[in-house]
Amino acid sequence: MGGSSNTINPWPFLLPALLLCILFFLIPTVNMVILSLTTENGFGLDNFKLFFSTPHLTQALYRSITLAISATIMGSVVAWPLAYFIVFCVNKKWRPLFLLAILAPFWTSFTIRAFSWQLVLSDNGVIAWFIELITGMSVTLGILYTMNASIFGLALFCSMLTTFTLYGALVSIDTKLIEAASNLGAKPFNIFKDIIFPLGLPGWIAGIFLSFIVCVGDYAVPTLLGGGLKPVLAQIMLSILKGTYDLSQAATIAIILAMTVIMCGLPLIIYGMLRRKRVSV
Amino acid sequence: MNGLIVNKFMLLILTAFFGLSLIVIYLPILVMIVFSFNSGKYQTLPFREPTFEWYVSLIADNSFINSFFTSLMMASLASIFATILGFLAAYAFSKAKVPAHALLFGIVVCPLVIPMILIGIGMRLQIVSIGIEPALWLVLLGQTLYVLPLAVINLKNRIDKIPKSMEEAAISLGSTRIKSIILILAPICAPSIFATLLLTFTFSFDEFVIAYFLTNFEVTLPIRIWTSLVTGFEPKINAVGTAVFIFSLTLGLIAQFILLFKQTDLDKNKA
Repeated sequence: MGGSSNTINPWPFLLPALLLCILFFLIPTVNMVILSLTTENGFGLDNFKLFFSTPHLTQALYRSITLAISATIMGSVVAWPLAYFIVFCVNKKWRPLFLLAILAPFWTSFTIRAFSWQLVLSDNGVIAWFIELITGMSVTLGILYTMNASIFGLALFCSMLTTFTLYGALVSIDTKLIEAASNLGAKPFNIFKDIIFPLGLPGWIAGIFLSFIVCVGDYAVPTLLGGGLKPVLAQIMLSILKGTYDLSQAATIAIILAMTVIMCGLPLIIYGMLRRKRVSV
Repeated sequence: MNGLIVNKFMLLILTAFFGLSLIVIYLPILVMIVFSFNSGKYQTLPFREPTFEWYVSLIADNSFINSFFTSLMMASLASIFATILGFLAAYAFSKAKVPAHALLFGIVVCPLVIPMILIGIGMRLQIVSIGIEPALWLVLLGQTLYVLPLAVINLKNRIDKIPKSMEEAAISLGSTRIKSIILILAPICAPSIFATLLLTFTFSFDEFVIAYFLTNFEVTLPIRIWTSLVTGFEPKINAVGTAVFIFSLTLGLIAQFILLFKQTDLDKNKA
């Protein structure tokens, strides 16, 4: 009795969740890899060769990567002052409330939020109206349906996400560390450089990583704010599955998108592993 | 301690930046809400007479109402499934010796770090290649998979903080493992379980791409909204957006509130 109560058999608890992941995630992924390698003349890399020799597809890949990197960088920069303010300038009691103020729109539909920016950015939107009200001149903004509008929309999302992960890291910093440093005469900038920044780094990196993943696979902001004329890869995937229905092409694009995530995430993953090793040593 | 790292000048700049960010974040949503009460077919300022016209036409529009109920059902079931599966898996990862722990945990959490469109497209290609017709039950399973990592991570955080001794005490007094989980562990985790339900509900309620790929004719609310946005402007879309915003916001805020404040309560009790 004593022995059996100390060891819990994990499988009955784990199996349902694991089964769902295997059936609906692992097997489809393997299937997708096989599909992308299947061509009319058997197995091969023909689909990938075709992808990279089709300009409108490689341009879409380039756009996806540029968009994701720009939005992620902008969002991650904005996250620092926001998280820093909430953690170090707000009374401990009110911190969650301030965080909620930033995160609240995060809980609503991604599509609705992208759409609401149309109302602000369009040529007869709120900003144009406001400029006209002040200057008396009617202006053509020309922001909506450009790459910049997409970058802006996604950067906003990234800044919320990264603020959230960075907050988690900053809020768990032991305040005694900062007090000690200050008592020993450290200046605010040095406290930031030597304590707060390195301890916030894991949360920041996690936010950057997640932001990039969301941005590179997003179709809603590029469609609603960027327009359909210069599509990103996710938009092309959407139109293939609802249009031409070329399954091996869809699989190939999906694999290329996955590879992009892995390649861009690899430096971060390696960094995380090195860091863990250093901590354990 | 605040004064140690932020001088007055910095505080001013940071406060201003925070305020400005709030304006940027909320401006478009406020505009949408204002427009939802604005009469006139075109969404231009200045504001005309206020009207409830768009809300009335929204309630009268069966396609929106039906898709809302479809989404409601999908999200309720997906959140319940994900929370149950997530609780069981979190228990195993937290309290049992799981072989290849990192690998299995990675597999369960992986959907979180994969672009959602890839999960959707993978499932679509899979069902096509084995000849299953797209249907709502596939959407349900797909969305459960998508929100499962959230449930596992949330609940594991909570279960990790409960000492194993509590359960062991019950078992040494004659309870069974299952009984001790249901009667002791689950009630202790109740706030987290509730928050997880709400959280997974909001995520699956707003989920678009998996549903889009796995159905042909049954339409969830995000699909209905998307169709409306890409195929031409319907003025009542502002009213839809406002309604969805308030609905998801309420649920999401309650969940976030419980997670943030209950956690601080716990820490206080520990200290």
